Amino acid sequence: MRKKIFAAVAAAFIATVGIAAPANAISATTADLYVLHAVPNTPVDVWVNGAVLLPNFQPGTLTDPLDLAPGDYEVVITAVGDPITSPVIGPATLPLAAGTSYTVVAHLAEDGSPTASLFTNDLSTIPAGEGKLTVRHTAAAPAVDILANGAAAFTNLSNPDEVKANLPVGTISAAVAATGTTAPVIGPADVQIQEGVNTIVYAWGSLQDDNLALAVQTIGGLHSNPGGVNSGQAGLAADPNPATLGLGIAALLALLVAGSVVAVRARTAQARR
Amino acid sequence: MNVRAVTAVGIALLLLLSGCSSTSAEQPAPTPTSAAPRSNSSTIGTQSAALRPVRETVPPVRVQVPSVGIDVSVQPVGVQPDGLMELPENVAIAGWYRYGPAPASTAGTTVIAAHVDSLEYGLGPFSRLKGLPAGTAIVVTTADGTVHNYTIESVTNVLKTQLPLDEVFDREGPRRITLITCGGQFDYDRLTYSDNIVVTAIPVQP
Repeated sequence: MRKKIFAAVAAAFIATVGIAAPANAISATTADLYVLHAVPNTPVDVWVNGAVLLPNFQPGTLTDPLDLAPGDYEVVITAVGDPITSPVIGPATLPLAAGTSYTVVAHLAEDGSPTASLFTNDLSTIPAGEGKLTVRHTAAAPAVDILANGAAAFTNLSNPDEVKANLPVGTISAAVAATGTTAPVIGPADVQIQEGVNTIVYAWGSLQDDNLALAVQTIGGLHSNPGGVNSGQAGLAADPNPATLGLGIAALLALLVAGSVVAVRARTAQARR
Repeated sequence: MNVRAVTAVGIALLLLLSGCSSTSAEQPAPTPTSAAPRSNSSTIGTQSAALRPVRETVPPVRVQVPSVGIDVSVQPVGVQPDGLMELPENVAIAGWYRYGPAPASTAGTTVIAAHVDSLEYGLGPFSRLKGLPAGTAIVVTTADGTVHNYTIESVTNVLKTQLPLDEVFDREGPRRITLITCGGQFDYDRLTYSDNIVVTAIPVQP
């Protein structure tokens, strides 16, 4: 019976999910939803609208974007094999709007209890030569500072908040420290800022259990192109100019017309004589 | 998801699509005949969210078109303050758009451009790109010494104002190289050409 319900609901779900689109493409009429599991040591089943969508979903795992019709989705997370009536997290309602990218994260709250947070991913176009770094605090830990190359880049970030900035492309040595300190509790680790990519870094795990870690999600295709290529300035490689050529022909025609007018006048004058 | 479950889903979908509500009410979607073990995977793709090692791009350093004697060095370039692609002043040095793909990238177009001429340096090697036939060989060497061989697919004149930027600076399509310079008519008042000469080449399969 369980299987039957699963199949029927899965069919309905697949009908709305469709085919996974390239990471950068988002439809104006549907929402993208990524699911990230950031509760340590606990494989789970993720239920959406009453059916198991992600069975035996492992910690530290991220899904491809699900292309969903806009609307409210009810998410319940259970231990693997448990009925929906015994949730670990939820039920939580995810209101998804069209043309928007989301990540729903199963994670620990600051006090260590399991929870879920819905984040909206920034898909705005990034200037040429830059990438976006988004940092989300989803760990059982107090407020933190994000250190880039040893200096505080973002300060006082609390669970479940996020900070973001566009940065020049390159590699930064990123670390997480208790706010106001510079002694890393995570990292330092090399994080690549890729051009036109929103790199979303999650601090997850538990400070008390000594299993804090980073999870990374990237959304590409947000780059801008150069406005053009202006590659010459002397005219040495120019084609013959038809405008000039046209002018020549016009001048020639004008001469011919003038010539015939003169001829006609001459003839007229002759006739009058 | 196992094959049986996929079949069940497929049939359920067909029933939904057929729109025969009364029929589907009378004939519920078939169920697996045996109690299959709970599925451990699903139709939804997943991946590890672990931090990946940094991958440095290997820039191209030299472009050759042996049939017309083009052999220029290549420097990485970005964009100018006005938004146009940056180019080395010297007509004998080409610029590689460093924010886009490189020859070793798994997808997209490597863009290398050079001035066709300049008031200071005169006529440049890229002036010989115009009119090259399809099939002409292009050789690109990257900083690690790897030689990448390409063959020209097309050489086109495009009005600069109509250069298809998304196509030229494509990051996700097939692996290609595009050489760009200027051509067409010259505006002696604005010291600028009307067209871009766009050479598109595809990798030669070894």
